[in-house]
Amino acid sequence: MEAPCRGAELVTAAVGLAAVACGAANILVWAGLYDGIEIGIMAIGGPDFFRWVWGSLVVVFGGVMMLAGARQMHAVPGYGKVLLGVAMIGIIGGTDIFALICENIPAGEGAQFFNSATGFIGAFAPPYPPAVVLLPFALVIGCALYAGRADDGC
Amino acid sequence: MHDHHDRLTILMMGNPNVGKSALFNRLTGANAVVSNYPGTTVDVTKGYLRKDRHSYEIIDVPGAYSLEARDAAEEVAVRILDTHPDAVIMVVLDATRVERGLYLALEVIERGAPCILALNMMDVAQDKQIAVDAAEMQRVLGIPVVATTAISAEGVKHLADMIRKAQVADLSAIRSRLNGQEPDQGAVARCAGCGGGGCR
Amino acid sequence: MGLTADERWGLVDAIAQRTVAFGISRQTTGDVLGELTVKPLTGIPTALAVLYAFWSIFGSFAGVLVTDGFMIKLFDGYWLPWMQAAWPDPGSVHYFLFVGDPAAETCFEAFGMLTSGLFVSFGVVLPAIFVFYLMMTLLEDSGYLPRLAVLMDTLLHKIGLHGYAIVPAILGLGCNVPAVTATRTLETKKQRFIMMTLLALFIPCGAQLGIMLQVVPDTVGWVLLYLLIGFVVFGYVLSRVIPGSNPEILIDVPPYRWPQRANVAKKLWNKTRGFLTNAVPFVMLGILIVNILYLTGFIGWLADLAAPLFVTWFGVPKETVGPLLAAFLRKDLAVAQLSTIPMTSYQMITAVVLISIYFPCVATFAMMVREGPRQLLAAIGVLAAVVLIYGGLIHAVGILLGVA
Ligand SMILES: Nc1nc2c(ncn2[C@@H]2O[C@H](COP(=O)(O)OP(=O)(O)O)[C@@H](O)[C@H]2O)c(=O)[nH]1
Ligand SMILES: [Mg+2]
Repeated sequence: MEAPCRGAELVTAAVGLAAVACGAANILVWAGLYDGIEIGIMAIGGPDFFRWVWGSLVVVFGGVMMLAGARQMHAVPGYGKVLLGVAMIGIIGGTDIFALICENIPAGEGAQFFNSATGFIGAFAPPYPPAVVLLPFALVIGCALYAGRADDGC
Repeated sequence: MHDHHDRLTILMMGNPNVGKSALFNRLTGANAVVSNYPGTTVDVTKGYLRKDRHSYEIIDVPGAYSLEARDAAEEVAVRILDTHPDAVIMVVLDATRVERGLYLALEVIERGAPCILALNMMDVAQDKQIAVDAAEMQRVLGIPVVATTAISAEGVKHLADMIRKAQVADLSAIRSRLNGQEPDQGAVARCAGCGGGGCR
Repeated sequence: MGLTADERWGLVDAIAQRTVAFGISRQTTGDVLGELTVKPLTGIPTALAVLYAFWSIFGSFAGVLVTDGFMIKLFDGYWLPWMQAAWPDPGSVHYFLFVGDPAAETCFEAFGMLTSGLFVSFGVVLPAIFVFYLMMTLLEDSGYLPRLAVLMDTLLHKIGLHGYAIVPAILGLGCNVPAVTATRTLETKKQRFIMMTLLALFIPCGAQLGIMLQVVPDTVGWVLLYLLIGFVVFGYVLSRVIPGSNPEILIDVPPYRWPQRANVAKKLWNKTRGFLTNAVPFVMLGILIVNILYLTGFIGWLADLAAPLFVTWFGVPKETVGPLLAAFLRKDLAVAQLSTIPMTSYQMITAVVLISIYFPCVATFAMMVREGPRQLLAAIGVLAAVVLIYGGLIHAVGILLGVA
């Protein structure tokens, strides 16, 4: 059982590292050190303090927590840290998606109340903020870890 | 001792956050606020329970660690206790933290009121591998002890049934039972057979 | 016969030994997280995340989705024009009271009972308090609330406030009224007095937060910052000045539990119903009274009288007197009314902060009377002093920053 466990640790550490990098990049872009960056389906940086500084700070902390816990993620303290880190990234990603949903249910300016179906779906096209990109990875790690602990895997 | 045609008052007492209000809602169908932090209930809520021929007024009392009140919520608790000298006291315990609840229970027992004990949170205790022997506790204390889980209503009906068997416990009897002697044949055991409630 | 505490504990131990057996159990996930979320190093980032989620969901649902997305369109586009057209003779007193300004284009401006009153109650505040209460209930039922208090304890301890005293304050963010009662869990008169005063002064309620989000979305952060600073500074001063003891508060942190859906729904319904039956009438009544005071010229007279204080000391337009009067009935209404007075954004920040701190709303006031009438007098004294000092300070900061 050695090998798969190491793999899980590496994946966790990698996602943690990515979270730290993206979160830090967000804050730097907000501070005006760089212009907005787009990498593939990911867009970094915006003007809103709450979202791009506070939120990104949480992503950074989440990444640090995952990194800190990754080495002993199958023992108690590490397990908790990874899970907490996953939850923090999940919170930011989740609220980002929720915000997108809320923005796009009503129609924009105009006489209509509800957005059209295509307009609604179209709003979910990339690029995404980093936390949303990280979300699936974080969730998979979190679920695997939680399930693994339940039946004592690894 | 009690006239069963009168309405009997039951005071639900116990440490904060042991599930008194949850249990109270289960017993009476009332709407006491239930939250997962100590200090949710700072005021009195009343509710009513009809069980067979008996009718009870149940009062959800603010949580207290001791009857030597330290804050205003505990003062309320003690005041209610003082103003209901004839009430039956239902002490609610958190089965995962029995000691602190027992402390309060003993204080109540010392006052000489008829008592019944609810061992709540049995589901949590089970998850934590804490085994609380309700029957043994009942034998030692000489008052009815009922295991309950308020959120799933487990044991609540039994608790309601046992209210009328509430007993005045005797400290010296408890002491001697702890020392391995049997001062009498066990008040509750006998009571369970007489079925008359309150052992007239 | 009376046992001593030691004898009682001895007996407790003996009984427990007889009846309780501990098996071997490993920590549950809840226990692990429970520990991590109170340790400062891991707990503070978690708290940041929770607060982010709280505010983000609040803004997305109440502000973006319900109010901006639907209610503004509904009220400004259909309801207001219809009322303005359908209600007879625009010059009359009843038109002014019920519909308000015949030329108004938004329901904020009109300020009639059936226009602004309904809009503020149902279009803005109802969705706001609905999500707010939902999230508060989840915090309450999961067991996170006391953990937040423990975390705050490490921070607030340095200034002489005990963290657990913060629980009423957090509850006050939902509504100040039950929060006043919640101060009963504090031990000494001093603690209760400090907490009650701070609560009445610096803790905005959910209704007020909701309307602030709508009216001053860009500066709500500043308002909250000023309130937070005020809370900390005046908390420190009060804990030094008020006589009495301030003993350590022992915190009993419960384990995490999954919120029960039925319980959450029940609490949410009860609180929302409470808003509909208690708050909505006050919003209506507030508009009625303020409008009558305008008509009789009382507000104009008072505004002139208070102008020196308002303009030179607080640095806000004298017209803010009207909203400040309304704030006694409902703070949400007062903030809504502020939004129609032309002023700079810094003046707006000052005015909104003033509305928050200047007096508790009537429901909170009544509850404070019940909890301790004599303390209330002292509290009002403190309140008046704080409003004068802090209002002036905020103005001074604005001057220093060059924005006022
Ligand atoms: N798992 C479990 N939780 C319970 C039980 N009884 C109450 N609770 C929870 O414990 C918390 C405290 O309950 P509450 O009734 O407010 O306690 P009180 O302060 O004693 O009135 C709430 O979150 C309840 O949902 C139980 O039997 N099992
Ligand atoms: Mg309670």
